[in-house]
Amino acid sequence: MTLSPLPLSPEVRALLDSERVIPPVPAPVRARALSRARSALLAGGMMSAAELPMAPKIRWGAPVAAACVGSVMLAAVAYQMGAQRHSIPTDPHATPIAQVVATSPAPSVPSPPRAAAAPALVSAPASHASRPSQADAGSNELRLLRLARTAISRQDFAAALVPIGEHAHRFRDGRLAEEREALRVRALVGLGRSEEARRAADLFKARFPRSVLLPAVHGMPPAVP
Amino acid sequence: MTPEEACLDAFQRELDYIHRTLYRLGAGTSEVDDLAQDLFLALSRAWPNYDATRPLRPYLFGIAFRIVSAHRRKGRREIAFGIVETDDGRPGPDDMLQNKQARALLLAALKQIPEPRRAVLIMRDLDDVPMDEIASVLAIPRFTAYSRLRKARRELEAAVRRMLKKVDSR
Repeated sequence: MTLSPLPLSPEVRALLDSERVIPPVPAPVRARALSRARSALLAGGMMSAAELPMAPKIRWGAPVAAACVGSVMLAAVAYQMGAQRHSIPTDPHATPIAQVVATSPAPSVPSPPRAAAAPALVSAPASHASRPSQADAGSNELRLLRLARTAISRQDFAAALVPIGEHAHRFRDGRLAEEREALRVRALVGLGRSEEARRAADLFKARFPRSVLLPAVHGMPPAVP
Repeated sequence: MTPEEACLDAFQRELDYIHRTLYRLGAGTSEVDDLAQDLFLALSRAWPNYDATRPLRPYLFGIAFRIVSAHRRKGRREIAFGIVETDDGRPGPDDMLQNKQARALLLAALKQIPEPRRAVLIMRDLDDVPMDEIASVLAIPRFTAYSRLRKARRELEAAVRRMLKKVDSR
């Protein structure tokens, strides 16, 4: 068993040598990259696990999550079918499918207490089915805030407020709510809406009193006329 | 210096290397900015776990490799030979060995090597990273690293030969 690698021909070696010297990144590209990096840091530089490059050994997590979501959706569909059947009582002894599904030992659907079976069935499976998985939610949150960050790094503060608003609407208390509110302050400051920026900064302080972004957020409003 | 500042400082210092590595790994010009930003975000998150006694570049390479691979998995297409098509059109093989064309040719040849092997070859033959470090960064056994290097070199030789032949026949 040999570990010696194949030697390279002089031509390929020369090509590799020509590539060894690393050319400098053009100044505007460098400035843009650093500006985006600073914005990300200012906003917390957060990245969801869903967006981090996955190590090969955790790739199985996605299919497992999909299977869980799938089984929840199946339960929801089964319940709806059962509800429809129940509303047309052709056979008074027929057992609604949803009840069968709910009492079967499906691992991803917690069985509700018997006394509250009917209301729990109405809300739980349906809402679980329509709600995206945690990874999807994290990914969607990040996507929205990335749009906002990109807009802010372009100094397009009005455009930044759109994904910020969308995030607030969809993920009011999401994992990145803190970053969102910091970005909101930044965007409002950029737009010169000082009073709103100050109010947003105060709300930020009240909501996230221990935030690491607090000094940055509080430094923002006076910085812009 | 706070950890965030240290991370930003490292990113700033190594930005040339990061960009070049992304190009070497097959990223297009239009993709490099966004991928570099992704790399920074991943780096800032992983920074608390970074062992400062170890060299930074192999660490950055590992992140870059995973980011480019993830990007590829999302289905964005790679355009082979895209870089080698240049404005002036008629580079001779001799010129290629001495100017930007040589780099362009090499990058295009690298694109023809599957990513896992390409990563080993870049780290070893361009960045001079020791094989043990390569195996560690890419989380593969040392023997696999050697095996990939061997195959990658063979593929690079073949790709360069094909491309030089193509240029010759123009």
